[in-house]
Amino acid sequence: MGIFDKLRKNDADKPKADFSDVQSGSSSTAAEPAAPLPPLETPTGTSGQSGTYVVVSGDSLSKIAKRYYGDANKWNRIYEANRDLIKDPDLIHPGQRLTIPGA
Amino acid sequence: MQTRQTSLSLCLALLVMTAACGDRKAGTDGTVGTTGTAVRVTDVSLGRALGADKAVSDSTDKFRPTDTIYASVATDGTAQSATLRAKWTFEDGQTVDESSRTIAPSGRERTEFHIAKPSGWPAGKYKVEVFLNDQSAGTKTFEVER
Repeated sequence: MGIFDKLRKNDADKPKADFSDVQSGSSSTAAEPAAPLPPLETPTGTSGQSGTYVVVSGDSLSKIAKRYYGDANKWNRIYEANRDLIKDPDLIHPGQRLTIPGA
Repeated sequence: MQTRQTSLSLCLALLVMTAACGDRKAGTDGTVGTTGTAVRVTDVSLGRALGADKAVSDSTDKFRPTDTIYASVATDGTAQSATLRAKWTFEDGQTVDESSRTIAPSGRERTEFHIAKPSGWPAGKYKVEVFLNDQSAGTKTFEVER
């Protein structure tokens, strides 16, 4: 057995360190990424692109428009599609099922 | 007078176009997410303690077996989402720990990763490699002494 073989054998025989009890964590000054968009429910209209969205606490028409169209100014499209449900565009309620017209 | 106004309008239009081109260049130069400026790791430092700003307050590359080891990663740039990962290894590459954190950085930020071992760190040489979106972004070596 040559010297290199012996060295290699010694390395192989050396027990591995045990790191099974290592505890780790992290934190950051940066914000966490925004939660992913809630998926639209199965489309209810004849257009395959429209769907329904259930309002949650803190929602507004402009927020929903921003999420689905990328433009808060398009809130009026959602308002127009839900005139029977929404009396005041500044007032929507958690649990309301809104039709979201296709983009 | 009208010519002067036209020249002014042209200058403004040129300025806007230049700014738009600048943004596009930044966007193709490693930008993470769909908007913002390129995010990059600007520093990785090691220490035994952290300040409120997540920077190490006791910078060192020599640790005791009972120490908690902190790696503070400085980044610059803006993105909707960027993932930092820290891989800690011992001597010949044995993995000690690997953890990641997804952030939405806005300008200069610091993210810290730390490891502790209640039964004590084996003496020897260690390495922490930091990845930004799975691309190696910095490496630091350190030693635990008896």
